[in-house]
Amino acid sequence: MTIITLDGDLAIIKVTAARLDAAAGPAFKADIQAQLNGRAKRVLLDMGDVSFMDSTGLGVLVSLLKMLGKDGALAVAGAQPSVRRLFELTRLDTVFSLTDNVDSARAVLGD
Amino acid sequence: MTDPDIVEIPARLGAVAQLADYLKASCAAAEVAPQAAIDLELALVEAANNIILHGYAGRSDGTIRLAVRQGHGVVELDLTDLGIPMEDGQMTMCRTFSLEAESGRGIQIIQSCIDVIDYHRNAGVNCLSLKKFFDPSTPTGNPVPG
Repeated sequence: MTIITLDGDLAIIKVTAARLDAAAGPAFKADIQAQLNGRAKRVLLDMGDVSFMDSTGLGVLVSLLKMLGKDGALAVAGAQPSVRRLFELTRLDTVFSLTDNVDSARAVLGD
Repeated sequence: MTDPDIVEIPARLGAVAQLADYLKASCAAAEVAPQAAIDLELALVEAANNIILHGYAGRSDGTIRLAVRQGHGVVELDLTDLGIPMEDGQMTMCRTFSLEAESGRGIQIIQSCIDVIDYHRNAGVNCLSLKKFFDPSTPTGNPVPG
């Protein structure tokens, strides 16, 4: 459900699943932990294909941000309305950088 | 309110998307405002996840039944299950969102998305009612200011 591309300390994670929820969240978390394994400090999360995310999926993103450490950065690209609504409801739009597309996310990450 | 549309799923996380799909189809047929439909799906999924993870807590034989009722500017969801009931007041207790927690946001999300919440147990059946109001005359479903 993910395609991860590493470019120096930047990881681009393309989520290919339509739903990032309690059913898919644990496998998604294990996948990114195994593939990143401390090799990235900046993450671009392309969520353009994700039409729905629940609190479990959101929790995985929080764990990913923690995994990057205090010097890490994470930008979310292309969040659809339902996904963006969840970020806003939980005020996590103040923690994650939400951008309209991948190019904007790259700019936020200084790439 | 319309007669309820009813669907039942096995209490498995992998089946929750069926409830969401059913709700979306029902909202689309009734021309529910998109923003209200988004909030209803977010709340429904969190409620169903809670039932599976905490109410049935590992049991594989449980089911969840969803009834959807539509009215002018209102949608009501009734979820019923036979799992362990929630403690009194859990669903309406005031909570704040943590920015650092990796879990525990489900009930806050329900509270944020839904206008009227009722939870009770009747003859061994847990009943959660979620009511969402919207303005059917605006695209977002939100009242026009002023």
